[in-house]
Amino acid sequence: MATDRDPNDIAIVGVAQTVAHERFDGPEVVLIMECVNKLLSDANIERSDVGFTIAGSCDYLSGMPFAFVSNVDGMGAWPPVYESHVEMDGAWGLFEAWLRLQMGDIDVAMVVGSGKSSPCDAREVFHLQADPYVVAPLGLDPDAMAGIQARALINAGKATEADIAAVVARSRAAAASNPHAQISGTVTGDELLAEPYDMAPLRAHDVSIKADGAAALLIARRDRALELTDNPVWITGIDHRIESHHAGLRDLTDSVSTRLAAAGVGLADGPIDIAELHVTHAHEELILRDALGLTAATSVNPSGGPLVGDPVMATGLTRIIEVARRIAAGEATRGVGHAASGAALQQNLLCLMEGGA
Amino acid sequence: MARPCAVVGIGQTKYKRRRDDLSLDGLVREAALRALEDANLTFADIDAVVLGKAPDALEGVIMPELSLADALGAVGKPIHRVHTAGSVGASTAISAAVLVESGRYDTVLTVTYEKQSEGNATWALSGGKSGGQGAGGTFAPWIREYIRRSKAPEHIGWTVAVKDRLNALKNQYAHLHLEDISIEMVRESPMLWDPLHFLESCPSSDGAAAMVVTSEDKVGRSPNKPAWVLGHAKRTEFSSFPGRDTVRPQAGVDCAEALYKEVGITNPRKQIDAAEIYVPFSWYEPMWLEGHLIAEEGQGWKMTDEGATALDGDFPVNCSGGVLSSNPIGASGMIRCLEAANQVRGTAGDYQVDGAKVALGHAYGGAAQYFAMWIVSSELQPDFS
Amino acid sequence: MDELQGTDLPDIDFTLEYPYTRTTGPIIGPFLTGLRDGHILGTRVGDRVICPPVEYNPADGSTVGPENLVEVGPAGSVEGWTWVATPTSKHPFTRPFAFAQIKLDGADTTMLHAVDAGSIDNMSTGMRVVARFEHGLGADRLGTVVDIHFVPGEDPPSAPEIDPEAEPVGITEHLIGVRIQEPLQPHRQRFLRGLMEKKIIGQRSPADGKVHVPSRGYDAINRVPMTEADDVVVANRGTVTSFTEITPIQYHGQTETEPYIRCSVLLDGADSTIGGVDIRDIPVSEFNVGLRLEIVWQDEIDFSDPDNRGYGLTEDVYERWVRTGEPDVDPELVKEHNF
Repeated sequence: MATDRDPNDIAIVGVAQTVAHERFDGPEVVLIMECVNKLLSDANIERSDVGFTIAGSCDYLSGMPFAFVSNVDGMGAWPPVYESHVEMDGAWGLFEAWLRLQMGDIDVAMVVGSGKSSPCDAREVFHLQADPYVVAPLGLDPDAMAGIQARALINAGKATEADIAAVVARSRAAAASNPHAQISGTVTGDELLAEPYDMAPLRAHDVSIKADGAAALLIARRDRALELTDNPVWITGIDHRIESHHAGLRDLTDSVSTRLAAAGVGLADGPIDIAELHVTHAHEELILRDALGLTAATSVNPSGGPLVGDPVMATGLTRIIEVARRIAAGEATRGVGHAASGAALQQNLLCLMEGGA
Repeated sequence: MARPCAVVGIGQTKYKRRRDDLSLDGLVREAALRALEDANLTFADIDAVVLGKAPDALEGVIMPELSLADALGAVGKPIHRVHTAGSVGASTAISAAVLVESGRYDTVLTVTYEKQSEGNATWALSGGKSGGQGAGGTFAPWIREYIRRSKAPEHIGWTVAVKDRLNALKNQYAHLHLEDISIEMVRESPMLWDPLHFLESCPSSDGAAAMVVTSEDKVGRSPNKPAWVLGHAKRTEFSSFPGRDTVRPQAGVDCAEALYKEVGITNPRKQIDAAEIYVPFSWYEPMWLEGHLIAEEGQGWKMTDEGATALDGDFPVNCSGGVLSSNPIGASGMIRCLEAANQVRGTAGDYQVDGAKVALGHAYGGAAQYFAMWIVSSELQPDFS
Repeated sequence: MDELQGTDLPDIDFTLEYPYTRTTGPIIGPFLTGLRDGHILGTRVGDRVICPPVEYNPADGSTVGPENLVEVGPAGSVEGWTWVATPTSKHPFTRPFAFAQIKLDGADTTMLHAVDAGSIDNMSTGMRVVARFEHGLGADRLGTVVDIHFVPGEDPPSAPEIDPEAEPVGITEHLIGVRIQEPLQPHRQRFLRGLMEKKIIGQRSPADGKVHVPSRGYDAINRVPMTEADDVVVANRGTVTSFTEITPIQYHGQTETEPYIRCSVLLDGADSTIGGVDIRDIPVSEFNVGLRLEIVWQDEIDFSDPDNRGYGLTEDVYERWVRTGEPDVDPELVKEHNF
């Protein structure tokens, strides 16, 4: 029974996301507004009913220091609101909001993630995440790092190029039922393998399709959650861990930080019906499946995942939303949403959810 | 429900225009290691790390938690990074406190920094384009409006500039040590953004500030008196909209009201023993005294003029020298929070306010639209009656 | 006006760029100095040698000093790699090349760097590579990680020319630029086209009737996007609501040198203020809040730097603002419009 739950148990009570636009011609704020207005309308609450708001975004993606400040326009801040911001995927905003509500004095929080990737070339921006002295000046971007990781995975005998292609084929097919995906379609492994290498052994289609988009969700403490929805999706745990930024000190073929986060949330304590994984390079799905101990019984990336539409800075939050939506609809009971940051899965976050009373 | 959280370790770097003796790793480690040593703890005792800093373009490193995780002993642990413009240092302190208060993490290391010498703050504030007005150029018109409304005499700004730099002479970490600072020197310094003179403005600094915060059951590991976090608040409003009062922002008033209510303060002027308030441009001292309900509207400048905010006054403000003496943007808000903690622990050295038991740490940012504040005390439940 | 309708407004093409200068500290400094002068260094930490060198022990975070620096390489083995078929403008080569994890002889960990192998067929895991103390594209060697590159094989590198006067690399430079290319947003296009017709177009909120200029394309107070149907023309004259005189600070990209007034103006018919209005020909002694000003348009309007920011009016369109001669407005009446 829900009332057996702790009063500080937190549930997702509403979700919203935009299409993963190839290019959205209006301001990022309008994408955020679309999500925020939907959340409030669906939950039938006022802006002032939200006690804490937090956003995730990346100034550099907009090419403008302090770009995050204008995003407040999309979330509402008059009368003044209690809000904060992380320069990370919105999933890490959820981490803060989940903790904040457990203090017990606030009942409802809103989490937003947003970004427009269309104005820039991701490779020419995100190499700046690398070590500023010994890696960034090489322009070594996350796609190149992914190519190195994919080769290591193949060399270790943990995957083949065909396995990687199968991830893409399955994701594209799954996307047909995802109204927010940027692309979908039927393609065979052989067709994919016939394409030329891009960052060998990865091919262009192995890399996520960047998008302009936003996503948002509402969470609430137990009693308020039960007022706001008949289908609360309980967050039973959030944990995130990071690995060394020195690639030479990591085993690129195994996501150690994901294993730690999984232990932290008690992932293995029950079956996982769905897993939505922040896969920006197809081979990552194989590494993550292994680290999470997923079996064939788990539906992985039923949305198609980021490979079919990657609204950078909202992507991890969107994974959590895709799981929550399905649990709320009764399609699954227990699921995990995963978010990642940094090249070659350096940092990983898990949000474990379950439905039911 | 929320459990108490205390500051048990404080560490700062020496603030300078350019710290040419160390890398980014070295900068954050200097503060982090000092905070750990001050707490008598090691990296192994830390459950989570919270990093905070202002825009990545100030150093040209995107998401530095990724490249600094190793340096901060965070490998295998949670680390995340807060960014709320100029207020980020205080927002980060608050985030760290919440990690503990939520009950999920027992001991948290929180570090904020900026290495402004790598880039250029005015360039970043100008969006990388010519003709930028910087922060001072944004605030100067509002300062002019404050002066009009309050009819404050022109020397108030100069008085604050002198007071904070004199205080800084007692703070070994402060960037500016202007031995011969005087009203004449400030008044005669070049005008930057009329009516703000050069010496009424903050410097651009390299620096890092760190704290270790922990739960009540674990404060005994550390030698100093714990600085209990009695409460914290943040409020934000839009940067511009028809009808906005930029001189006395509603978000600032709301933030102070929420904070005082949570802590049980009914008379901030009397019940707060020392305040570290984010004053990057001199006139913001009287403006925030009013804007945060410590002085009546229009009366804040009199507190400054009467010497109430001096080190030996009845409401000392920025005994550490404040932002006017050191401003690594990402860290400045946390420096305010940790200097408040220094006061109530009795570890403020030569700028200690005798018997300080309750202190305020404050930061603001953006177009004076972001506010983050906390109150610390040497007592878990001080009697405010 | 037909010829103006068809006028193409440029897309935004802006590069946020700065020549960062990084101080290197006691470990990275000697490492980069070594690369410049013909040596590759790692740090001995416990029983292993880590390259590139680190300032701390990864196992426990304790500090590792420069006395632990040891020379490694210049040759090593490739333990991992990818082939970059289409280099970006930030990569160290313009022709296809490999990024590789290279375990230099004497080191226990791999270093990331670039291998100029000529063809993907020349790359294999386990192959031997050796450093060349030359910039991959022949540029000057300045004490950065691109002062070297790797080639297949074992042929020892020639020692680079060392400048006996050169200081150790205490500061390393990195020109970082991020290029943003996007079209002007629809409301911005209409706004700029309006300016070309000497009209200032704002947007009236369908929710509360307030007129925003320059509009950002939405009403944030009511969380409502706005459309062309909400466009309204406001006057070319208005009231100064706040100002300062800026003495320009010099920074990378700054072109201003002389002091000028920057003010905010509430145009007649508008509820929001236009900020960033620069006045260069009215002395500050004659300037005050409440002053009534009017735009004098330029005849030829040529947008040099259009953007999507809802701030400012763009100096490309007006020759100057002049006093209208009307009586000043009481500052009390505009105090809620100063930004």
